[in-house]
Order: sequence, then structure tokens, then C-alpha cells
Amino acid sequence: MEDATVVTDPFTDLVGKLTAFNKALTTRTAIAQTPKELVWTLNKAKLYRYIPVVAKAQRHPVPLLMVFALMNRPYILDLRPGHSFVEFMLNRGYDLYLLDWGAPGPEDKNLKFDDYTLEYMPRAIRKLKSIAGVEEFSMLGWCIGAILATIYAALRPDDGLRNLILLTAPLDFSNKEALTFARWTDERYFNVDQVLAAFGNMPGEMIDYGAKALKPVENYIINYLKLWDNIENPQVIEAWQAMNTWVTDNIPLAGGVFRQLVVDLYRNDRLMRGEMMIRGERVDLSRLRANLLTVIAEGDHITPPCQSKAILSKVSSKDKELFSVPGGHIGIMAGSGANKRTWPKIDDWLGRRSR
Amino acid sequence: MGNEQAANGKPPDPTDAFRDMRDTYLDAWAKAMVETVNSEAYARTSGTVLDTYLSASSPFREAVEKAMLRVLEQLSMPSRADFIALADRVNNIEMRLDDMDAKLDRIESYTKPAMESKPKPRSRQSNRQSKRKTRGAR
Repeated sequence: MEDATVVTDPFTDLVGKLTAFNKALTTRTAIAQTPKELVWTLNKAKLYRYIPVVAKAQRHPVPLLMVFALMNRPYILDLRPGHSFVEFMLNRGYDLYLLDWGAPGPEDKNLKFDDYTLEYMPRAIRKLKSIAGVEEFSMLGWCIGAILATIYAALRPDDGLRNLILLTAPLDFSNKEALTFARWTDERYFNVDQVLAAFGNMPGEMIDYGAKALKPVENYIINYLKLWDNIENPQVIEAWQAMNTWVTDNIPLAGGVFRQLVVDLYRNDRLMRGEMMIRGERVDLSRLRANLLTVIAEGDHITPPCQSKAILSKVSSKDKELFSVPGGHIGIMAGSGANKRTWPKIDDWLGRRSR
Repeated sequence: MGNEQAANGKPPDPTDAFRDMRDTYLDAWAKAMVETVNSEAYARTSGTVLDTYLSASSPFREAVEKAMLRVLEQLSMPSRADFIALADRVNNIEMRLDDMDAKLDRIESYTKPAMESKPKPRSRQSNRQSKRKTRGAR
């Protein structure tokens, strides 16, 4: 009888592991649980205000607006209870707003950086200032959200932006050797007009493939092996599921923005060279005067550190700082070490400038 | 090794060695793949594949679109272009509403200080009382 158990136990274990593995892959975790209210909408864009948890007298008087990338869901900032940047900042007494761009439809295929920075952002910011009853605000831009925040800050330096935080900001495209995306979208190999003529917007699946193909073995194999190795650890599974829910929730990128990203930025580096035109206005980075914190991820393969450093020498901000964190593009804000390194640094820097 | 595991209280796991070997192999493979995808050859190949797919599917896609458009017309149903035009108009209305909201906020911000500095309207009773007092004074 004992011998039979010895033989069947490994199979029972294996079946249990396979069931748990399948469940982890197919279950969507509850994410973005922090209470918030919708305060403004325009087309697909929504401005949310998170319900403060600190009494008004103890709160920082300068509100913080978070602007995330256009082709991913912004709830990575509020991934899961107990591991959420939003939750962390609310507990630190910030009045927090999130600009969610939503998913562009076929009718939005012509939207460009011009529309997002000069049509949507000023309107959302006006609403934020009206609700908060303030004239000054802080802004945090992440990835393409950082491009939007930088363009806006340079075009509208007198709009009340006091503090600007850029996370893994792809702004400098001069070092083509370091940029795999620049190689892939080179005009010799990639016909951006043909792609957009076929799809209108850049499909989320193609963007997802592009991001994953930068590190194919890690993303397509090691990621799942790590889950398998830790299948009996509920904490690891919970974290993995939350991240997997976010990673697989892809949205398209508006065609106009994609064309600008490829032609103006990846191919011609127009922003850093001071040649980028937004509705006839030249984006002059020297007009950016807000206090500036640039956070770079040392192991970032999507936005290599070299893309985020040059901005510091271009702006007129007297108060500027570069903060380098070990980790990847997403890991520095959503990884297990984020609440020990990146979040406290942002709180410390911003808190002293939000009084 | 055996003593260490005995000290940890864990039985020796025969898959540990396999796992270490697997991880070493995967690390080496990952590095090689990163170099591969970062090469000109990969960029050229992926560009060619995409180009071929788009060129090959384009006539088929256009034919389907035309056929679909005809079917929708026959059924008196709106097409994608109709919806896009409608969405554009809704967007414009939203923009105008937002402009009006901004103007209202501005008006409110101008009138608020004036309203606050203005003395509060007295109640009818207190008005009557003050009138009586005035009459009495006369």
C-alpha cells in the first residue's frame, strides 16, 4: 500500500501543480482597487481623483497629476492593495489625480501628440485646478506619458506646473545603437504609412509583441517557468497574476501618435534637437522651468537610461535631479522593491516641494 | 551536500541539479536572443515579413471592406465611416461643453469674492423689524 502511495504521490502533486498553474494563467486578479471618483471626461480620456485618506489640514497643498503611457492601462500605478503607488502616495498625504487616456477607437486614428498635449491635457489640468482650488500642481509622467508631460511643460511653462517627475522617459533618440526600436522602425525596413493604412491605429497586440520581442526568452519562457517554480507560493502567484493581468490588457496606440513617435522621435530625434513642432509651435525644452526629477531604471531595455539623461542639460529648471534605480522599465514602480526605493524617493523629493 | 540538506531538514531534491542546468542554459539563450533581435538582419527580416503580410492581405482586405459596405447599404445599416463621423460630432459637442464649463468656472471665480464680500440678505422678519424701528425713529 505504501509503495503505491510512493508511486502515485508525485503524479498527484503534478496534477495539483498543473491545476494551480492553469488557474494562475487564466484568472484575472482584482486590480485598481483604490477608491476614486470620475471628475472629467473628454472623448475616451478620463480624469479621476482618488479619495484622500489624510485630513485636508495634513495634506500637501499642491495636487499631483499622474499621466501614464498611451498604449497601456494606467492601473499599473494602483496594481493591487498593499502594493500600490497610489495607495502609498495617498497615505503620504497627496491629493492625487490620474489622467486615463482610454483606448482609442477607429475615429481617433488621427490623434497626435498635438491633440493630447494642447487639447486634452490643458483641459484636464484646468479641471484639476478648479476642483483642488489651486493654481499650482505637480505632474508625474511615465514612459510615453513622460513625453506628453515634457512637451506640455515646455509649451505651457506658465500654466502652474511646479514639479515635474519623469519616469523612464524616452526623450533622447540620438544613440541609435542603443535603441532596438529605432533599428526595427528604420525607414529601410519599416513602412509606417503602410502599417497605419492597414490598421488605422497601431494594434495593442503588435505593440505588446514589440515590447516582448526585445527580450523574447525572458518574456515567453522564463516568465512562465518562474511561475511554475513558485506555484506553491501564494504571494508570488498573487503578484504574478496582477502583473499578468496588466501585461495582457493591451490597447492600441492612436495612428497619428505612432507616426510621430516613429518619424519625429525614433528616426529624427526632433524633440531633443529642438525641431519638434506641435500645432505650429516649436517645442523648446529650455522653456521648461518646473522643478524636475528624472527617474531612470538601470536595467531598462524599453527606454535605455541614455534616453532620459540629456533632458537635464536642456531645461532651464534650477532645481533638477537624476535618480537612478536598479530594475526594469516597469519593475522600478511595480516590482517588489518599488516600495523600498522608488516610491519613498518620489515622496521625499515631491513632499519637500509641495508645501 | 547531503549533510547540508540533512541539517536543513529537507530531503535531497533530484531536480535541483536539472533546474540549475536549465537556468544556465536559458540565461545563455536569452543573451543570444537579445543580440539576435538587436541585429540589422532581424530588423530587415521582420520588416520583410510584415511588408509581405500587409501587401498580400491588402487586396483581400479591401475587397471585404467594399463587400461589407454594399451589404450594410442594402440593409440600411450605418457603416464604420458613419460611426466615425458621428463620433467626431460628439467629440466636438464634448469640446464645446468643456469650453462652457471652463467659462462657468471663470464666471464663478469672478463672482465668488464679490458674493462673499456682499452683506448677507436679511430675513423678512428682520427687515420688518428694522422698518418699524425706522418709522419709530421718525
